[in-house]
Amino acid sequence: MKIRLFYKLFAVFFLTGLVVVAIATTLLERELKSAFIGWIGDELTAEAHIIALMPPDKILLHAAELAERSRSRLTLIDAAGWVTADSELHDLELDSHLNRSEIQEARVKGLGMAVRYSHTLRKEMIYVAVPLREGSQVTGYVRMARPLREFRVSIEELRNAIFDILLLIVTISLLIALVFVMKAVTPIRTLAAFTERIRAGKVSGMIRIKSRDEIGVLAQNINDMVAALQEKIRAADEETEKLQALFAGMAEGIMVLDARGRIETVNRGMEEMLGRRDAEIAGKTPLEAFRNVQLHDALELFRETGETVFREIRLEEARTVVVDATISAVRSEGDGKTLLVFHDVTRLKKLERIRTDFVANITHEIKTPLTAIIGFVETLQEGALDEKERALKFLQTIRENAQRLSRLVDDLLILSGIELGEVKLNLAMANVEEAINAVLAVVAAPISEKKLEVVTDIPKDLPAIAADRDRLAQILLNIIDNAVKFTPPGGKITVAASPGEQGRLTVRISDTGIGIPEGEIPRLGERFYRADKTRSREQGGTGLGLSIVKHLMTAHRGRMSIESAPGRGTTVSLAFPLFRDPA
Amino acid sequence: MEQKRHTSAEYERELQEIKDGLLYLGALTEKALEKGSVALLERNSDLAREIVCQDDRIDRLDVELEEKCIRLLALRQPAARDLRFITTAIKITGHLERIGDMASTIAEKVLILNEIPQIKPYIDLPRMVEIARGMIRRSLDALVREDVALANAVRQEDAVIDQLNEQIFRELLTFMMEDPHKIQVSLYIMQISKSLERIADHAEGIADMVIYMVTGKSVRHQPACAEKG
Repeated sequence: MKIRLFYKLFAVFFLTGLVVVAIATTLLERELKSAFIGWIGDELTAEAHIIALMPPDKILLHAAELAERSRSRLTLIDAAGWVTADSELHDLELDSHLNRSEIQEARVKGLGMAVRYSHTLRKEMIYVAVPLREGSQVTGYVRMARPLREFRVSIEELRNAIFDILLLIVTISLLIALVFVMKAVTPIRTLAAFTERIRAGKVSGMIRIKSRDEIGVLAQNINDMVAALQEKIRAADEETEKLQALFAGMAEGIMVLDARGRIETVNRGMEEMLGRRDAEIAGKTPLEAFRNVQLHDALELFRETGETVFREIRLEEARTVVVDATISAVRSEGDGKTLLVFHDVTRLKKLERIRTDFVANITHEIKTPLTAIIGFVETLQEGALDEKERALKFLQTIRENAQRLSRLVDDLLILSGIELGEVKLNLAMANVEEAINAVLAVVAAPISEKKLEVVTDIPKDLPAIAADRDRLAQILLNIIDNAVKFTPPGGKITVAASPGEQGRLTVRISDTGIGIPEGEIPRLGERFYRADKTRSREQGGTGLGLSIVKHLMTAHRGRMSIESAPGRGTTVSLAFPLFRDPA
Repeated sequence: MEQKRHTSAEYERELQEIKDGLLYLGALTEKALEKGSVALLERNSDLAREIVCQDDRIDRLDVELEEKCIRLLALRQPAARDLRFITTAIKITGHLERIGDMASTIAEKVLILNEIPQIKPYIDLPRMVEIARGMIRRSLDALVREDVALANAVRQEDAVIDQLNEQIFRELLTFMMEDPHKIQVSLYIMQISKSLERIADHAEGIADMVIYMVTGKSVRHQPACAEKG
């Protein structure tokens, strides 16, 4: 507030008061003066007429006395204008008074009046002149005069008194105005303070102004407006909150790019997919934030065509995520913003790949031995049957391939049986050492063939585990067989057992084989997944071994874990639950 | 005034375009290198051929980017930091293009290697690829964040690649001496290793340029690790 309303109003009142006083005083003074002049003129006229009735010689004789009685200056002037007597002047060396305005007026109209400066007496005087007549003959003039100064003093006194009274009235009315202005301004100030608080967002209740005038109406209107506004703000807040919750809570990743193609905001879903916080990447271009060729290509396509783009994109940020990306314009605002919605399809893709891999693998696994069998049977049909020695060799190969097919079918049956829960485990007390030795006996031939060193480290007093003996043998055989297959000649295989924590017994099978790249370890349990595709198949594996082990271990409430370093070897740890006597 | 603001926004957009172009080129070369590694490990010749085909695109982008830089230099006459950025960009795009070429060379060798039996599992090569990729990625990260410390870290890594390269060289030398049949394979592997070593050098070059861009000081041809005496 630069100049307050209070001062403005008060200044107007004050100035108005001053002007009124000034004008009133001036007008009054003028009125008073003319009234005084008229009144004294009348008095002088009356005196002059009375004197004019006297014979001229008597006037002359009593001039001084007449003047004194009428408290005026009396001048007798003859018809030629010469002064014959004057009450104030004794030296009558005066010029002709005929040209004096009062005399001229008196000669013409019978009565002359003038207010002028008397050079003779050197003061302002009011003059009244009447002619002296003898019959119709003018014989001279009687002139009465009084100085103006006398009554001017009284006019001034009167004017001063009036001025004082006016000033008093104005002051009182100003005081009243002051009170009034204060009363008018206070509620306006209250309103101003209230609206200011609302603007600052500190809305508290209503404003209370009791007056029933326009200000009261205004206050009520403001109250209503604030209430309506608050309701609107609350509704808008609620809506924003809802949208915010929706935006943040969506599993889909959402990213908004501004008109310059920079990241404006991302939601939590997107943050999780990217492993980055919103604050880290906001303001950057997508290329700056994550250099993804596919995403950039998709964005370029969108910019060129302006049409919604659907793309499958592989994000390789914190983790590898495959997303179905939808890139579209933010339509409602129409300011060139771009909306990216990422739908995580990593799991779907993985399942899809496992399925297609499975079909591809199983056909391949069946096809290879079948091709061999058909090939050799045809060779036999075409005459090889006659050469007994070759025929026997071929038959042996056919037999081997048929066995491989049979093994594959067996493995698949076991696997699907476990998956369907059809395989019932006959859990009983099992001795790990016995099982390991039995398995080692089975693989003794390839071990000696590859000149592998086998070390067993099994303490004598190991507790028994709860396992199905046949399945236990199968688990151990699969793992030890793998170790034998993937360890180069001259390598070493260690089989160790030790009581683990939490009522478990751990069997560790380590080899000095080719190892498995770290990224592949999690996929090892998948059916037909082979870390080293060519080699595994050469070794006659079905690609189902680890998958079966994994499932069997789960069925035993055990756990399998694999550690490996490429080139250094692999360690498979099998944790079995201990046997507890139910009795 | 309006005109001026418009022009500066346009100028900013052009600078950003160049920056994004560099990053895109970087992402492409990094991807090519990654694919090369997969093609080698999985003996996937289709993937290798894809890389060779894509090198044309990298070359084209390099030319486009360089033209953009030169046009901007000519029309806008950038000063100080912007000028350093543009000159840096021209150099970096050159480095990236060479990295692309190397990736293409690797892919060509992979195509040949996939035709002949593997003599041993690849262990050091994938590690080299990982380190080289990391160097490219981090050198470009350093560009985005204008991070001198990161750029310096990239420069240090070059030594690891050099070591691995030498290790592979010695290993292959013994293979070749043992069995002349392995000479062909060994030579191709050696070329791949050498290309990776060169890629790391280019990544280091990018890091050098980033340091120049941010600080205005040239660190090229200075050893990354000061000799301790």
